[in-house]
Amino acid sequence: MVQQTEASGTSGAWADAYRDRWKWDKVTWGSHAVDCYPGGCPFRVYTRDGKIVREEQAGVLPLIDKSTPDMNPMGCQKGASWCTLHYSQDRVTTPLKRAGERGEGKWEEVSWDEALADICDAMLDAVEDQGAESIIVPFTPELGAAPARAAAGAIGAFTTDGNAEFQDFSPGYHITWGKFNPISSMDDWFLAELTLIWHANPVYTNIQWYHYLAESRYNGGEIVTIAPDYSASAIHADYHLPVRIGTDAALALSMCKVMIDVGIYNKQFVKEQTDLSLLVRKDTGRFLRGDDLAEGWRDDQFFWLDSKSDQIVPAPRGTLAMGDVDPTLEGSQMALLSDGSEVEVEPAFEFLKRRLEDYTPEKAAKICEIHPATIRKLAHKIATRKTKIFIGWNSGKYYHGDLMERSMALLLGLSGNWGKKGTGTRSWGISGSAGGGAAAKERPGPRAAWESRRQLLSMFRLLSADDPTMTHEIAVNRAASSPAGGRLGGLGRMGPPAFLWYKQFGYKERWDNKDWQDPTMKREFSEYMEEALEKGWWDSGAGNIWEDTEPRVLIEAGGNILRRQRGGQEMLLKHLWPKLKMIVSIDYRITTTGIYSDYILPAAQHYEKFGTSMPSIHHMNTVLIEPATPPLGNSKSDRQIGLAMLKKLEERAKARGMTEITGRDGQTVSLEGLWDRATLDGELEDDEAAFDDNIQDNAVFGVLPKGTTLETLRQKGAVRWTAWGVMGHGLAQASTIKPDEVHNPFRWHTEDKIPYPTLTRRAQYYIDHEWFLEAGEELPVHKETPPQGGNGEFILTSGHNRWSIHSMNMTNNIILNTHRGEPFMFMNNKDAAAKGLENGVEVRVFNDAGSMLISVKISPSVRPGQVIIYNGFEPYMHRGWNSQADIEPGIVKWLGMAGGYGHLQYRPLAWQPIPADRAVNVDVEKAT
Amino acid sequence: MGTITQSKRQLAWVFDLNKCIGCQTCSVACKVLWTQEKGEEPMWWMTVNTKPGLGTPKAWEEMGGGYKDGKQTPGKLPTPEDFGGGWDYNYDEVLRGGKGRAVHLEKIAGHKNWGMNWDEDEGAGEFPNSYFFYLPRLCNHCTQPGCLEACPNDALFKTDEGLVLRDEDLCKGAQLCSAACPYKKIYFNPERNVSQQCIGCFPRIEQGVAPACVRQCPGRAAWIGFLDDETGAVSKFVNKWEVALPLHPEFETKPNVYYIPPLSPAPINEDGSLNESEQRIPPEYLESLFGPQVHGALDTIKVELEKKRRGDDSELMDALIMYHWNEALGHLNRDPANIVWD
Repeated sequence: MVQQTEASGTSGAWADAYRDRWKWDKVTWGSHAVDCYPGGCPFRVYTRDGKIVREEQAGVLPLIDKSTPDMNPMGCQKGASWCTLHYSQDRVTTPLKRAGERGEGKWEEVSWDEALADICDAMLDAVEDQGAESIIVPFTPELGAAPARAAAGAIGAFTTDGNAEFQDFSPGYHITWGKFNPISSMDDWFLAELTLIWHANPVYTNIQWYHYLAESRYNGGEIVTIAPDYSASAIHADYHLPVRIGTDAALALSMCKVMIDVGIYNKQFVKEQTDLSLLVRKDTGRFLRGDDLAEGWRDDQFFWLDSKSDQIVPAPRGTLAMGDVDPTLEGSQMALLSDGSEVEVEPAFEFLKRRLEDYTPEKAAKICEIHPATIRKLAHKIATRKTKIFIGWNSGKYYHGDLMERSMALLLGLSGNWGKKGTGTRSWGISGSAGGGAAAKERPGPRAAWESRRQLLSMFRLLSADDPTMTHEIAVNRAASSPAGGRLGGLGRMGPPAFLWYKQFGYKERWDNKDWQDPTMKREFSEYMEEALEKGWWDSGAGNIWEDTEPRVLIEAGGNILRRQRGGQEMLLKHLWPKLKMIVSIDYRITTTGIYSDYILPAAQHYEKFGTSMPSIHHMNTVLIEPATPPLGNSKSDRQIGLAMLKKLEERAKARGMTEITGRDGQTVSLEGLWDRATLDGELEDDEAAFDDNIQDNAVFGVLPKGTTLETLRQKGAVRWTAWGVMGHGLAQASTIKPDEVHNPFRWHTEDKIPYPTLTRRAQYYIDHEWFLEAGEELPVHKETPPQGGNGEFILTSGHNRWSIHSMNMTNNIILNTHRGEPFMFMNNKDAAAKGLENGVEVRVFNDAGSMLISVKISPSVRPGQVIIYNGFEPYMHRGWNSQADIEPGIVKWLGMAGGYGHLQYRPLAWQPIPADRAVNVDVEKAT
Repeated sequence: MGTITQSKRQLAWVFDLNKCIGCQTCSVACKVLWTQEKGEEPMWWMTVNTKPGLGTPKAWEEMGGGYKDGKQTPGKLPTPEDFGGGWDYNYDEVLRGGKGRAVHLEKIAGHKNWGMNWDEDEGAGEFPNSYFFYLPRLCNHCTQPGCLEACPNDALFKTDEGLVLRDEDLCKGAQLCSAACPYKKIYFNPERNVSQQCIGCFPRIEQGVAPACVRQCPGRAAWIGFLDDETGAVSKFVNKWEVALPLHPEFETKPNVYYIPPLSPAPINEDGSLNESEQRIPPEYLESLFGPQVHGALDTIKVELEKKRRGDDSELMDALIMYHWNEALGHLNRDPANIVWD
């Protein structure tokens, strides 16, 4: 029965009670200074009676490019419940000292003074005993925690390079472009005509901007998801290609072959932008180099065969422009060497064509299990459309991920798919603080920032003095590769951790196990390791010191090494922990690592301090975080923890008569005035003053609009960048930021013909490093993933889950209630039936590396033979505390240790050996 | 028994199932805002579930309620076990209890073996032709609300804007509403002996602010607006283009939450080649959810998509793209941060 009456009933007490739930007395800006990549979500934080009650996406980002949708309302379920973490039961608000055995979880509350004195004494003991590098500071990506590492950084502690520590590296992209991280802004993804979601699961992991993919589809673009399982990111695709696990290189190379055979590749682009036009000697497989042709000529001078004159001519090092030369991609020529002999040379393209003979669609289909017709069809689409590859950091975690990524980059290169809107690919890249920061300044204020900018620029000029063709980007990379490079930015001594792990964490036994390495590795792993160290390839990253430097102190700020480290707790607790005299967890919560620490120092939560969210190139904004409330209890902002530790270090050093520390790199730091230097004589002691100073520095460097201050951010919440500054990831973008356009990288290379930062100064598919030639990997090739962990029946894959940023948020009660609320592993329905497993039962997953317990979740979307554990669960969430990392051996591919070759040498957050954890062999049985 | 009044206007929600990514931001936004008090632990007024799937409460589609040929049909009252969830954990025991690895984080409250999203990403079919999609659900604020008619205490009413609200001062916890609701979106609070469900964010709406589930949707998959506002996106999707459809129209409660039905990838033939003439979600399954109109809606979407792929204009596609986020909020586009409470 329907009646027409005046209806209103929201005047009662019940209605007011609901109204009151929504009220607040204070609004501040907030975001999350965590390793949520790309982050960048401006939130409003609502406080009532001194307690943060909720947050909501601010939705304030302006529309940039009229041809695309805006970025609002960036956020996700983690961000929308972050405030509940402030008051959750795993929050720690007063310094805790271990009162039982490590790992027991017994605590005594102590004062900051007592805790810091004890910790600093242990640090100084470590310096005297084993050197400053024996203080290990993992470079973990929680942005907000970085200032807590200030003290360790200031005295030259060893900071592990993040690219291996958290494995988010794209090695194949680095090999190709000399940089792994040219990235479009999010809105550029709308403009793609074809998006390949490949080695990524953005529906889980890029919640705040997945909409651009859905919207590009409504704009006429197509989405193709290439993944072994029917992932959540396949459901909104036009096509799902269920590639066999680990065979992506074969699929990509086959599409490359189709393009070349049909003649639909972009010849002009390939000649100009890539090394495939450079000549290679047929006798040695090495590039024809200047010193082959004439004594004294540069060994990094490369050559073309000019089709007009049929002459061998030098390819310019200072520009990609071809001038009057038309380099051929095909054919051969005899070259007269300086010793009078003649050798046959061919463009690298000819070598590539021969390599691709193994990848006809029919042959490749047998490897990757994608139908030949599908391979041909997709190759045609890629060749004829603006195409993007949406990749995550999944491929890089495969043993042969470098080969997969090189093959994917080849696909983009042959089709000319970078350097214009709607094309390209991605990795991680941050900017927005280029050259800024008190660390580089002598006093507060913009004038000092100008001086520091001038000094940096003249340093880069000096570095390129011997080579006028050197680009600014290459000069900056060269500076970072120098022995002092790792100390840039106050990071202590940053270096690749693989060598430390091998020598001190027990990994030697694992990596030397030939059964778990690739059968095409011609020599013993240990032989490659020792050769790399003997040749000094890793000296600038302290690779050479670990034979005789034993770790003594571990300072984990914002990270959770016992959750994160592949190879698992057994390696760490058995090999590393006994060597450590002091383990400190600096965090706002008690993690598994915290439980195994000697001290937990309570850090402020994210709405209790100043900061910015991840300054990612995907959004290109400086997004403000300001305190909504003071740090809870006795907790302190990470910066104040860092400063307090500096002060205490000075005090305790003085007490024992220690005045300076000299690192293994010969650099000396004075222990006097540590605090003064960090606070610029106290003028920037206050967090707000320091933050404002940093914002203003960024305006000086041109990263933020002229005159930007903290107050500007308070007005707007987020300010878009105006330039990249003079160093850092921003420069790798190689495109000028325009105020009303999407950002698409590589345009300085493709439009302005500025060289790439590789050995050949071109996108480089041919690597004539002796190890690569020996491995048959001078060009991309498909190789099967070796059986890491034994020959188990199932292949374990992984990836980030939907509900947490690593293990952060994982124990958030609200988030736990949105899934099964316990760790689980996905398994195919038929496999589960064959094993007699019912949905939800606990299983043991094991291999020769380890064993763990987890419940099983059954779905036909999982590929038969595959099991998936999305990572991030705290070990203490599993019965027995073993987690996925315990069954992932964390093998390093030997070629990652190659160095001494153009762009294959160490600089922080770039090329280095990284552990593999994908496609591990395991067995599964019902738990008892 | 309650009497249904006709509202002056009718607010409606539209969810685009081609943009929904199951992230639960809407669910969490709602939870943090409205249901964090004692007795509300298992409540999720807003949920997103994987379909096909049993959802929340478990197998709700089989529980009856609603109308048949205009007459109320009996429905089952979902039990707390059907809802599950409401979990709390032994944090202190694990983190500070001194027991080390002998204990691990475990549920210590709530029903352990089901929850608001227990069957997430399980779906149906057989690999490689398995399929699933996400279905966000809240109270449908029906035009013919079975809950309202079933209430023995006259606690439920329609507002001028068409929301179905409960006067909790009148509610005596009889739960006949919950048995009558075919969507099973009503929860019971044992602490206060009242039932509770989505309040349509009425305190926000009366301030000109869109509901949290819409305003906080990062997938830009949700719209709100009056059905009779011909300029608004909601009205256009529902009335003009007829691409947004109610869920289970056969329940006859005339729900006011509408869905753009999901496209899905081409199935894979036995020999591994692509079958481009079909989509992998069986059409009959979609029909079982959205009624026979789903086929026409999908056809319209495909035709308009093809226009864009040819380089032609499509007003529908542009509306689904949502160039400006404010389009989702309709007239409820006030920024809440600008409100100053007395």
